[in-house]
Amino acid sequence: MTTSIPLQTILLVEDEKELANEIKIEIERLGYLVRMASIAEAADAARVGDVALLIMDRLVFGEDSLETMEVLRKEGVKVPVLMISALSSVDERIRGLKAGGDDYLSKPFAMAELAARVEALIRRLDDVRTTKLHVGDLEMDLIEQTVHRGSTRIDLLPREFKLLEYFLRHPGQVITRAMLLQDVWHYHFSLETNVVDVHISNLRKKIDIRGGASLIVNIRGAGFMLNDNA
Amino acid sequence: MLEFFRSPAVRVAIAFVVATTVATTGIFGMVYLQIKAADQRSNRLILEDEATKSVNHSVDELKYAFEVRLTHGLRRLDYAALFSADRKVMFGNIDELPRIPVDGKSHFVAASPVPGGDNRMEPAIFVARTRPDGTVLLLGRSLLETLAFRRIVLGALATGLAPMLLLALAIGAFFARRASRRLTTIHDTIASIMKGDMHLRLPVRSQHDAIDKISRDVNLMLDEIMRLLVQIKGVSDNIAHDLRSPLAVVHAQLERGLENSDNEELRAVARQALAHIDKAMLTVAALLRLADVEYGPKSSKFQTIDLSAICADLFEFFEPLATSKSINMALEIQSPVQILGDGDLMREAVSNLIGNAIKFTPEGGSVRVSVAQEDGNPLVRVRDNGIGVEPAERDKIFQRFYRTASGHRVPGSGLGLSIAAAIANLHDFDLRFDDNHPGAVFEMAGRRK
Repeated sequence: MTTSIPLQTILLVEDEKELANEIKIEIERLGYLVRMASIAEAADAARVGDVALLIMDRLVFGEDSLETMEVLRKEGVKVPVLMISALSSVDERIRGLKAGGDDYLSKPFAMAELAARVEALIRRLDDVRTTKLHVGDLEMDLIEQTVHRGSTRIDLLPREFKLLEYFLRHPGQVITRAMLLQDVWHYHFSLETNVVDVHISNLRKKIDIRGGASLIVNIRGAGFMLNDNA
Repeated sequence: MLEFFRSPAVRVAIAFVVATTVATTGIFGMVYLQIKAADQRSNRLILEDEATKSVNHSVDELKYAFEVRLTHGLRRLDYAALFSADRKVMFGNIDELPRIPVDGKSHFVAASPVPGGDNRMEPAIFVARTRPDGTVLLLGRSLLETLAFRRIVLGALATGLAPMLLLALAIGAFFARRASRRLTTIHDTIASIMKGDMHLRLPVRSQHDAIDKISRDVNLMLDEIMRLLVQIKGVSDNIAHDLRSPLAVVHAQLERGLENSDNEELRAVARQALAHIDKAMLTVAALLRLADVEYGPKSSKFQTIDLSAICADLFEFFEPLATSKSINMALEIQSPVQILGDGDLMREAVSNLIGNAIKFTPEGGSVRVSVAQEDGNPLVRVRDNGIGVEPAERDKIFQRFYRTASGHRVPGSGLGLSIAAAIANLHDFDLRFDDNHPGAVFEMAGRRK
């Protein structure tokens, strides 16, 4: 980050002080400016438009932030919103997403999980018309549904293709196992097994060059990352 | 069968049948004996009366009277004879004086030669009386007719008794069956409640008998237990709820400390602490998840989902994990098996079962996932040949936090099966365990409607 570019601002609506403080510390480490706000303050700032992301607890001082978010979306405010909530049921998650939330994180969560999701939302590629994705000499053709590494064609199973596509769309970002489960497999529950790791390792075997550095690296305590400097 | 006779209701019924039989037989017996006695008395009196009257008649008159009586059968006299003082027959239809006292009283002779003498014998009663001239008058009557009459009466009584007994038996059996069926229902209900279906109650009918009274009391007791359970669960859910933020905060602070410290000793401790906090967070999340499943979703939001598609999808998801453990994984699905349900939750339940199967199956083993309609009911079956579950632990594996002795080495919250069972229950499915000799079979089957 150079000093000439102003820091992007993230508004945090969370009434549990200690948790809010930890979230602030964690996200500021990522290079963002975090401001604590009430629901009303957050809504006003979002309308003005100088906010990169809203992090909102569902219940703040007994008030449900869902209604405010619905109002914002109706007004056409497009600021990404990450909802964090004590309400973890499937129904509540769906309600949160329907009301206009972009992601939904249930308490308790690890800060690494929150950080990864914040990055994913802020650096989200809005251009869905992209037909080709690249990293290094790896190229994915979304129309032909093919993957090449240099001139070598790599055959992937449909799910492996989706998995790699997800990484290519989030280059250089930390991707957690929960995010992969949620976005690649559309599973909305936690797993007590390391299935995702096995899928990643299978994918690596196919896309990595023998003896070379791995395109997808493990991030200790958090998840994985596509190495976009490769 | 032995069990059947041991039931108190059946015993009461048998006692009822025996009592009815004894009473009925007694009454019928009394009737018979009374009829028999009355008949005997009248026979005797007639004979004795005749003998008394005949004493003062002359011999000629007697002779004439006998002929008339014997030929016309008046007052049903079958035997009549006059014997001289030295017991020689003078006239009459019997040649020899029977061996009875000559006292004007009737006596029973079991076998007397039938007059007309073709050596037939018959039972009879006789009266012998000395006349003033020293001759002996003998009058007699065959009992053949009387015995026949008694036999008819006895027969009639016996024919009456048989339906009586059958009726008693039928009534007894009916009540025994009804009572034992009630007891069986109560027993089955209690068994289901003990298995964890705490919402069941004992059947209470409108009658106010002893069983109903006890059933009502037991139901009240169950209500109270339920109330306490909900209270305890509420407390534990609240604890889990309140632990979330502190856990997240501690987790974050430890991580931060870990990153900012160069003290290797401290870092090692912090890493250990983080691992434990991770475990605690996993448990708290699973506990809240369980509460969400138990109290959250409404079946009114259910949609048509295909169990076959869900299992095929999960199969594809889990197969690489199985392969990495050299476990052979197979999928057997039929055409769509559709139910009304929540796809996300069903996926979660089945993923718990498949995840467990892979977790508890050693290298080289196999895990089979199948979906079928069995007897018209949807069924998901996950079968492995892993370590299985000890018989003593089978009842407990669905309890919250229960980890089998062998499962303790494998990480997990101990709530996976509880969550799967709660999800199954929400869908009107039962989650059952069976032995696979070796290994485990978990079946999630739709309840019969």
